[in-house]
Amino acid sequence: MKARNSWLLALAVAFILASVLVGSRREGAEFAGTDGQAMAAVATLSPDYQPWFDFIWEPPPEVASGLFALQAALGAGVLGYYLGFKRGQRQGQRKRSDAGD
Amino acid sequence: MHITEGFLPPLHAAAWTAVSLPFVAVSVYRVNRLMREKPEIKLLLAASGAFAFVISALKLPSVTGSCSHATGTGLGAILFGPSVMALLGTIVLAFQAMLLAHGGITTLGANVFSMAIVGPWVAYVVLRAAQGLQAPLAFSVFLAAMLGDWATYLTTAGQLALAFSDPISGVAGSFLKFAGVFAPTQLPLAVVEGLLTVVIVNFLREYSSDELRNLRFLPKTLVSEVRL
Repeated sequence: MKARNSWLLALAVAFILASVLVGSRREGAEFAGTDGQAMAAVATLSPDYQPWFDFIWEPPPEVASGLFALQAALGAGVLGYYLGFKRGQRQGQRKRSDAGD
Repeated sequence: MHITEGFLPPLHAAAWTAVSLPFVAVSVYRVNRLMREKPEIKLLLAASGAFAFVISALKLPSVTGSCSHATGTGLGAILFGPSVMALLGTIVLAFQAMLLAHGGITTLGANVFSMAIVGPWVAYVVLRAAQGLQAPLAFSVFLAAMLGDWATYLTTAGQLALAFSDPISGVAGSFLKFAGVFAPTQLPLAVVEGLLTVVIVNFLREYSSDELRNLRFLPKTLVSEVRL
C-alpha cells in the first residue's frame, strides 16, 4: 500500500508540475481562475446583464488569502488527524498482540 | 464551478435552490441517521468532509494557463453513498460563499446542485458500473472521482448556458462556450483528484477495515479485499 501510494502521490505532483510548465508556455497565461473567466463570458453573451445581488461581505484580498489558507488548514488538519489516529490505532493493536495480550 | 453571487437571474437562482433543497433535506436526515446508528463512523465522515474542504480550497494551475480547483466530493460518495455528500458539499460551499466571497448565497442552490449533487451521483454510478464490469477497484475509484469532478463543471456550464443563451446559436452554443472555459482546464485537475482519491481509499483499506465493514453503501469488493 505504502509504495503504491507514494507512486500515486508522485504522479499527482508530476501532473501538476507538467500542467504549470505547459500552461505557462501559452501566450497570455496568467493562471486566472476559470470561475472568473466564465463570469466574463456571461458579460460577452449578455452585455446588458447586471448582477442583481452583491456579496454580503467581501474580505479584503489579503484577508481572503488567509481565509483560503484557513479552509485548507482546517480540512488538512481533520484529515491528517484521522489518518494519524487510524495508523496509531493499528500500531497499538500490533504491539499488544506481540506482547501476548 | 462557483457561479458568482448575483450571476444567475432571480428566477434561475430560485429554481436551482428549489431543486437542491430536497436533496439537502434528505442528506441531513441520512447523515443524522448514520451518526445515530453507527457512531463509530463519525470520524470517517468528518475526514471525508475534510477532504472536500481542503481539496476545494486549492486552486491548481492547469495546461490551459488558467487555474481551477477540484471538488473532493467523489470520496464521500464512494464511501457513504451519494446522498450524504449533499450536506457536506453544502457546508463547504456555504463557508466559501459567506467568508471568502467565492460563489454566493443567491447562487448557492445552483452550486450545490453541480458540486454536491451531480458530482457525487455521477461518481457513485460510475463506481458501481465499473465494479459491475469487474474493473480493478483502484481504477474504478479513480474513474469515479475523475468523472464526478468533470460532471460538476459541465453542470455549471449547463446552468450558465440555460441562463445566458447565445443570441445566435442558442443554449447549445452558449453551453459549448462555457464548457470551453471549464472543461480543458479541468481535464488534468480531475485526473489529480482521481489519483488523490485512490490514495485515500488505499489507506482506508489498509487501516480502516473496521469502519469500512460498517458501511452498507460500499461495494462488496472494497470490503472483501480489506486485510483482516
